[in-house]
Amino acid sequence: MMVQAINEDTPEVVKVRQAAVVQSRVVRRRLIENSITLLVFLLIFAAFGVFLGGQFLNVAGRLLDVHQSVPVLLLGLAVLVTLIAGLFDLSVAGNATLSCFFTIGLTVNQGLSFPVALLAALAIGVVVGFVNGCLVEWLKVNAFIATLGTGAVCTGLASVYSGGSYVGPLPGGTQLPAWFVSFGSFANKAPTWLVTLAALALFASFSTGLDRVRPVGWDGRRWLVAKVATLVVVAALLVFVVRIWEWIRNLSWMIAFLLIATLALWVLMQYTTFGRQVQAVGSNRAAAQLAGVKVRKQVIKSYVIGGLLAATAGICLAAGQGSASPDIAASFLLPAFAAAFLSTVVLSDGRFSAPGTVVGGVFVTWVGLGLIVAGLQPTYVNVINGLVLIGAVALSTATRTRR
Amino acid sequence: MTTSATNAGSAFALEVSQLVKSFGANKVLKGVDLQIRGGEFVGLMGPNGAGKSTLIKILAGVYEATSGEIRLGGKPVRSLASSSDVGFIHQDLGLIDGLTISDNLSLAQPPKRRLGPVLDKRAERAEAAQALRLVGLSMSVDTYLSDLTPGEKTLVAVARVMGRGANILVIDETTSALPPADAGRVIESLALAARSGATVIMVTHKLSEILNATDRVVVIIDGELVQDAPTAGLDRAALVEMLMQHESDAREINTRAAAGEEPMCVLELHDVCVGKLGPINLRLNAGEVIGISGLPGSGLHDIAFLVNGSLKPERGEVVAHRQGLKRALVPPYRESQGGFGALSVRENLSVSSLWRWRRRGARLLSPRRELRDCAKIAADLSVRPRPMDVPFDTLSGGNKQKVIFGRALLAQPHLYVLCEPTRGVDVGTRSEIYRLIREMAASGAAVLVASSDAEDLFSVCDRVALVVDGRLQRLRQVTEMTASELELMV
Repeated sequence: MMVQAINEDTPEVVKVRQAAVVQSRVVRRRLIENSITLLVFLLIFAAFGVFLGGQFLNVAGRLLDVHQSVPVLLLGLAVLVTLIAGLFDLSVAGNATLSCFFTIGLTVNQGLSFPVALLAALAIGVVVGFVNGCLVEWLKVNAFIATLGTGAVCTGLASVYSGGSYVGPLPGGTQLPAWFVSFGSFANKAPTWLVTLAALALFASFSTGLDRVRPVGWDGRRWLVAKVATLVVVAALLVFVVRIWEWIRNLSWMIAFLLIATLALWVLMQYTTFGRQVQAVGSNRAAAQLAGVKVRKQVIKSYVIGGLLAATAGICLAAGQGSASPDIAASFLLPAFAAAFLSTVVLSDGRFSAPGTVVGGVFVTWVGLGLIVAGLQPTYVNVINGLVLIGAVALSTATRTRR
Repeated sequence: MTTSATNAGSAFALEVSQLVKSFGANKVLKGVDLQIRGGEFVGLMGPNGAGKSTLIKILAGVYEATSGEIRLGGKPVRSLASSSDVGFIHQDLGLIDGLTISDNLSLAQPPKRRLGPVLDKRAERAEAAQALRLVGLSMSVDTYLSDLTPGEKTLVAVARVMGRGANILVIDETTSALPPADAGRVIESLALAARSGATVIMVTHKLSEILNATDRVVVIIDGELVQDAPTAGLDRAALVEMLMQHESDAREINTRAAAGEEPMCVLELHDVCVGKLGPINLRLNAGEVIGISGLPGSGLHDIAFLVNGSLKPERGEVVAHRQGLKRALVPPYRESQGGFGALSVRENLSVSSLWRWRRRGARLLSPRRELRDCAKIAADLSVRPRPMDVPFDTLSGGNKQKVIFGRALLAQPHLYVLCEPTRGVDVGTRSEIYRLIREMAASGAAVLVASSDAEDLFSVCDRVALVVDGRLQRLRQVTEMTASELELMV
C-alpha cells in the first residue's frame, strides 16, 4: 500500500493520467458528434408530439408504422451486408418479390406443404445471392450491373410465374396456415415477459457501456453516485415519458423478428471472423488480400447472407399482405438503401451498422407519418424521405468535418 | 537599407534561412539555411526521414514552418505554392492517362476560348507543342498519356510547369520510380533547362544523377544541412562518405550472434518466374534476416509477394519446409496496401489473427481477449495515440507503420516478409523497427526484408542480395561488405 502511495506522483504516472484524461475527453466529444443525428431526430419527434398531440403520440399507431415497414427494414439489412463489403446489391427487391411468390404460390397453386414452400423461398434467396457473388467475384462483372440484372431476372421470373397478375389464396382453395397469417398481423403480440427480459438486458448493457465515458479525475464512489443517478433518470424517463410498458405490450411478433435479425446481424458483423474480414474488405480490398483475408470467399458469403435476408423480407411481405403481386417489393429498394446509408450517421462514426439501419429507417418512416398526420398529402412521402436522407447525412458530415 | 536588402536578395533566386519545423516534440528540421542562385542545378540528398520531404513540403505550402523565413527573389514569402515562377513536380505527377498531352497541358492553363464556351483547340495545341520543345520531347501533342513511357510522362509534367512560365523547378524524387534509361532522359532535359537559365532543385537518392547533372549537392541528415558543396570534383566514394558520416553508430548495432549450427530452412524458391522476373532461387532460414534490394521497378516487391504467397509463380515452385507455415506481410505501401483507413487501430491490428480470439466450440470472437492482446502489442510498439478505437486514418505515418508491424507480430508467423519497413518513418521509429526485426529473428522466425533503402540492409540483415535485370544476385554476408560497397551496389 505504501509503495502504491509513493508511486502515485512519479512523472510517469502523471503522464499516464494526463493521457487518460485526454482519452476520455476524446471519447465524450466523439459520442456527442456521433449522436447529433439521433438528437435531431428525437427533437423532430418531440416537436411533432407537441404540435400534433395524441394523434401522433400514440404508441400503438407508431408501432404499427414500424410493423408495416418491417420488410423494408429487412431489405435495408440485406443491402447493408454487401455495403459493408463495399459493394452494391440491387437485386434484393427482385429477390424479395420472387421469394414472396414462392411462399404463397407454392402453397396455394402447387399445393406443397407450407414448410417446404418456406424452405424453397429461403433457398431461392440464397441461390440468387450466390449467383450475385459468383458474377461479381469470379466473372468480375461490375456489382451494380450484375445485381441490377439478377434483380430484373427475379422480378421477371415472378411475373412469368404469375402471368403478370397477383397470386393469393382463393376462397375454397388451399389457405396459408393460420400461424403464418397471424405472424403477419399487428394484433399478434410477442410475449410481454420475453420483450421485458430483452429490454432489461439492453438496459444492463447500457449501464456497463456508461463506464466508457467516466471522467478520469472521478474516484470510484463519486462515479458510482453519478452513474446510479443517470440510470435512475433514464429509467424514469423511459417509464413515465416514453411509456416503455406500452411499447413492450404493443410489440408484434414481426417487429420482434426484425429485432432478433438485427441483433444477429450485428453480432455477425462485430464478433465473428467473417464480419471483421468483410469490414476489412470494404475498407481496403487490396490490403485485406495482403493481410491474409480470403476476399472472394467472404464477398460471396456476404452476397449469400444478403440474399437470405432479402428472402426473409419477401416472406414477411407474404405474411403481412397474404398475397403476392409482381411489383410488390419494387418500391422498397430506395427506402432500403436510404435506411442503410442513414446507419452511417446514426450513432456511428461513418460506418454502416445493423442497429443504425433499423433506427434510421424507423425515424424516416415516423417523420413522413408525422407530416401526413399534420395534413400533408401522402403523395409527398418520397419527397420527405429524400430530404431527410440528404439532410441527415449532410448534417452529420458537417459536424464531423468542422474540427 | 531597403536597397541593400534588395540587392543582396537579387543575387539569389531562392533563400531559406533558419527554417525550423516540429511535429509536436519531434523536431524534423533544425534550422536549415540554404541559398540558391538563378540557373543553378542543385541536388538534395539524405537518408529517409532526414527531413528532405518536409523541406519540400514547406516550400510547396503543404506544411507551415514553425519558424524561419523563405525569400523568393529577395521578397519574404510564406511558401512558393502561390508563385507562378515556381513549379513543383512530385512523385505523383498529377497527369490524366485518358487525355492527350495537349489536353493535359491546357488543364493547368486558363481556358483559351474561341467563341463563348467553345475552346480554341488550335491555340492549345500550339502552346503544348511549344512546351514540349522546351523539354526536348518530340512527339505529337495528340498522343494519349497512357501510350507514353513513365519517363515521357515525367517530361510532360516538366513541360507543363515550364510551359506555364516557371523558372524554378522543384523535383521531389520523381526519378526514383523510373527505369534507369528514362530517368537519364529526364535528368538530361532538366540539365538542359538549367543551362538555359532555369533553377532546378532535385531531391534524389541516386548518386549517378547527382554526379552527372548537378552543379551543387546539398546533404540533409537528421534535419540539419551537413554538406553543401559544388559537385565538380566529387566522386561516388566522396558522396557515399558524405551520406554515411552520421550513421556510424547505426552500423555498430550490427553485431548478431552468428548461427552456430546448421540453420533450418523454412521456405525455398526453386527457379521461380513471374512476369519479367526469374528464374529466382532463394532459401530462407529460421532465425536469419535476408535482405534484398534493387531499383524501383526491379520486381523487388514481387519477390516478397511470391515468398508471402500473395503472388502465384508462373513457373517454378515455392516450397514450404514445414506443415502449416504461417507467413505475415508488411506491404510496401502502407496506405493503399496496408491499412484500413476507416477501421479502428484495434481492427487493423487484429485482422490477420482473428483465429486467436475465437471462443472454444463457438465461432464468436472474445472481444475482451482481443482488446487485451491488441493493447499489449500497441503499448510494446508505443503506438500514439493510446486509445485503440481511433480510426487508422488519423495516425501519423510512423504510427501507421507500427500498427501494420503490430498486425504481423500478432499473427505470430514462422516467416516475416517486410517490404520497405522504414519507408517514410522518422529516425526514432526507424531504430525501433530495426530492434523489432532483430527480435523477430531472435525468436526463431525467418525474415525477408525487401527494401530499396540501403540503410535497412546493413542495419538489420545477415545476408543481402540485389535484384538486377530480373535476377536475384548471390547472397553475401553483410559483415563481408563495407557500407560504401553496399551503397554503390544500390
